Amino acid sequence: MNKVVSRAKIMLVLVLILAAGTLFFVGEYVFKAETWVMHAGSPHVYNKNAGSGLITDRDGILLLDTTVDRVYTDNEVLRKAIIHWLGDRQGNISAPLLSHYADKVANFNLVSGVYNYGGIGGQVTLSLSAKLQMAALEAMGDKKGTLAVYNYKTGEILCAVSTPAFDPDNLPDIAGDTTGQWSGAYVNRFMKSAYIPGSIFKIVTAAAALETIPDIQQQTFTCNGETVYNELAGDKVTCLSNHGKISFQEALTYSCNCAFAQIADQLGGETLQRYAQQFKIAESISFDGMTTVTGNVTAAGEAPVMVAWSAIGQHKDMINPCRYLTFMGAIAGGGVGVEPHLVNEISGGSWKSYAAKSVSTGRLMSVDTALKLQKMMRANVENYYGDENFAGLTVCAKSGTAEVGGGKKPNTLFCGFATDEEYPLAFIVVVEEGESGRRTCIPILKQVLTACKEAMSS
Amino acid sequence: MENFIQAFTQADAAYINVYQQILRYCAPLLVGALLFLCIKPLLTFRREPEIWAWLVLEDQRRLPITHWESVIGRNKRSDVVINMPAISRNHAVLTRYDDGSWTIADAGSKAGVLVNGERVDIAALEPEDVIDIAGVKMKLLPISRRQEIKLAFLRTKGAHPLSSLANVLLLTLIQVLVCCSYLLTVNEAHALTVFWGFAGIAISQWALLIFYFVIRKPSFEVETIAFLLCTMGMAAIAAVRPGEAMKQLIAMFMGLALFLGVGWSLRDLERAKKIRYIAAAAGIGFLLITLLFGREYHGAKNWLVIGGMSFQPSELSKMCFVFVGASTMDRIVNRRNLILFIGYTLAICGCLAVMNDFGTALIFFIAFLLIAYMRSGSVGTLALACTSLGFAGVIALKIAPHAMRRFSSWRHIWEDPLGAGYQQTRALMCIASGGLFGMGAGRGWMKNVFAADSDVVIATLAEEWGLLIVLMLISCILALGLFAVRSAAVQRSSFFAIGGCTAAGILLVQAIFNALGTVDVLPLTGVTFPFVSNGGSSMIGAWGLLAFVKAADTRQSASFAVRQSKEGRPDDE
Repeated sequence: MNKVVSRAKIMLVLVLILAAGTLFFVGEYVFKAETWVMHAGSPHVYNKNAGSGLITDRDGILLLDTTVDRVYTDNEVLRKAIIHWLGDRQGNISAPLLSHYADKVANFNLVSGVYNYGGIGGQVTLSLSAKLQMAALEAMGDKKGTLAVYNYKTGEILCAVSTPAFDPDNLPDIAGDTTGQWSGAYVNRFMKSAYIPGSIFKIVTAAAALETIPDIQQQTFTCNGETVYNELAGDKVTCLSNHGKISFQEALTYSCNCAFAQIADQLGGETLQRYAQQFKIAESISFDGMTTVTGNVTAAGEAPVMVAWSAIGQHKDMINPCRYLTFMGAIAGGGVGVEPHLVNEISGGSWKSYAAKSVSTGRLMSVDTALKLQKMMRANVENYYGDENFAGLTVCAKSGTAEVGGGKKPNTLFCGFATDEEYPLAFIVVVEEGESGRRTCIPILKQVLTACKEAMSS
Repeated sequence: MENFIQAFTQADAAYINVYQQILRYCAPLLVGALLFLCIKPLLTFRREPEIWAWLVLEDQRRLPITHWESVIGRNKRSDVVINMPAISRNHAVLTRYDDGSWTIADAGSKAGVLVNGERVDIAALEPEDVIDIAGVKMKLLPISRRQEIKLAFLRTKGAHPLSSLANVLLLTLIQVLVCCSYLLTVNEAHALTVFWGFAGIAISQWALLIFYFVIRKPSFEVETIAFLLCTMGMAAIAAVRPGEAMKQLIAMFMGLALFLGVGWSLRDLERAKKIRYIAAAAGIGFLLITLLFGREYHGAKNWLVIGGMSFQPSELSKMCFVFVGASTMDRIVNRRNLILFIGYTLAICGCLAVMNDFGTALIFFIAFLLIAYMRSGSVGTLALACTSLGFAGVIALKIAPHAMRRFSSWRHIWEDPLGAGYQQTRALMCIASGGLFGMGAGRGWMKNVFAADSDVVIATLAEEWGLLIVLMLISCILALGLFAVRSAAVQRSSFFAIGGCTAAGILLVQAIFNALGTVDVLPLTGVTFPFVSNGGSSMIGAWGLLAFVKAADTRQSASFAVRQSKEGRPDDE
């Protein structure tokens, strides 16, 4: 018996294997569980490539529920208004912010895993307002383009729509569309389009001039309808009208191309290029897992006429609406802006796992220049666009009409900001194939700013 | 009844959330407490040697006999060491029987065993018989009836009825809570089935406990552990395939019947030795029938379908193998018996090779090694090693190519998370998602994975109930293993020591391959977790194995599978 009894201890090997193997696993769990749970396809974290949870607007209005499947809000207009941010079921429009924050939504920890009270996933609160988003979409109507308003003090994007927008619950036949009605429907124009800026680029040129030409505000310019550089080659800059003798301020207000051509001559291509770089006009901007396309400014080393065209937002100039909106915010902020963001906060489990912080653009221009620009853009509204068009806000703005060629109507743009303490809003409107920045964009913006003011004062 | 169930299935979400929030912390607490109460006595009972007789030498020196089966020999590790050159290493075996009688058997010694001057192979010993081993004369002096009663009195008692009762009450509370949490979340169509699934377990454990009380063997620790495992298995079924709750419950009833049957046959060693032959025939018979009429699923021809019900007879063969492998001392020291066992093992091994059943082959192989090691003296080691080598060779040549695919992804599951590593990567994701306390009953995702209630069942449970509970389920099996080793020291016969250890060993091996396979510490082999995995044959087999563990519980009045001398006070005469 003694032998059998002592040999029975061989069983301890199995006991040890099971115990050691289990301990080994517990060790792996401690060090690797987070990797496992965040791995692509992890069922409680990702739901068809989105985080698993609820996405609401800034006021808690449900926009999308990805707990089990993609369930959009039951408001049709709202569904269209958010499609370019939250994506569709087919993946034609991706929603990078949903997967970007999957870990925050899941809010994994070793003790609780990704458990959520009630089995509901985390909650993502966007900076968007459902109400404003719908107002913006309705204001855009059947026009193509983008409209965005953001709070330049906090960086919150209050509304940003891209049109045409479709209803993910009632898909139109986009692939079979021949009318062009749905062209670019999958593109979030605010983030992923670059437009020829036209006259709104004059703000950049004006800022460069304010920084480098000491007497620029005392200078006057002469406009004969065109500024000729080389008669033989036909190199000239044309103006929409014959402005005659015109001041720096008037040149901006009435968007005089000839005056700005002469300013460009004084600046030179290198200086204009340098300031465009300093203002980060052509750089992309990233937030919440998304990155805009880059813009373009090509002025350095170009012939004087091309520098002039570049100074008035043509030539090879391209701007991304989101980036330019941020530039507006920087002017409103006295030379330093706040980068925009779309996600305000995320809670996963019982804890807040993410809260947006305002990210500074850094100083883009001197306070002095920013204040002078504010004044000039304010004068544009007071003297030209009309204060009655902006819902009682103290708006500083600049319009633009960019020729795109190809027999198409011009793209129309309008950008600016309000200086009211309680409405720190910057905005940009782009309408493709419109009449002019002033005539096409201002009525649209008026509706949205009215809604903004109402929403913010209630 | 239906109204009662409906009250659950139609409960307000707010109540369900509160209930689950509380239960996720209570469940590990209750299960932990129950396991502490059950495991502690199993691992702490005293194992003091008991003297059953004396060998009185000519010079009146007395050698104590502390087992019912004792080897007399020159070997230092013999039970009775007589260090004289003429005495063989294993010379003779003394055996005590239930009725208090003794025999002596020659263990193939050179000099032989003489009783009253006559050479014998085996002889019953009467008082005053003179035993002569290579010239050493001695008499056997069994302890008196009075001393026997005193031994029984001093022996560690089995569990107090009240503690068994308390444990079962606690287990029932756990079952009620777990059952409710599934009733709250399960599809209404399955609610009644799920209810009866849990209720059936509870009813059978109470019936068994009452039966134990009636026969005055109230120790219930081993059974409580098994019923707890069954309960969590039912939880996995409720989560994954609630429609199969009844099927598994019926299997558990059959398992219980087998448990009682095997336990009863083990109660009498002579009876058990006879039943061995039936078990041997049945063990190989099951495999042969499967070979002839079986069906192939997932590469292994190990299923038998009778009247729409499918069985895996190899699960029962495991238990039979334990019967065959366990042996009394007088046979262990005899070479011939070893050869028979090796032959039997080779036959089993051949069947499994043809069946392509890798998981089962592996379990048999390890069970064989266990038995071989425990049985082999110096004589048999070589033969046993050869057999094991042959066994391993057959596995390698015949079965492994099929299994190699599983091995190729071992520790590389994340390189092919949607292919070969799918089950295990999902398992790890879900285990991590559940954290220590789980996502809550019915809120798991593992049900979408193949074999979520069997091969990777621990992931399903970890996801819904938390890693803590799963670690506790694993420690249940660990406890059974440790108990088998501990109790080996106080076995009356090596038959029970080997049987108990091998049975616990098989349970351990299954838990090792199942649990560690699921989490990619070992390759995934498709072995079931004892009592937990959904699968009727596996459930029945596990209960059959548990009977051997129960038969090794020698605490006084602890086990129905251990016959004990009549109880009495030490002063009874």
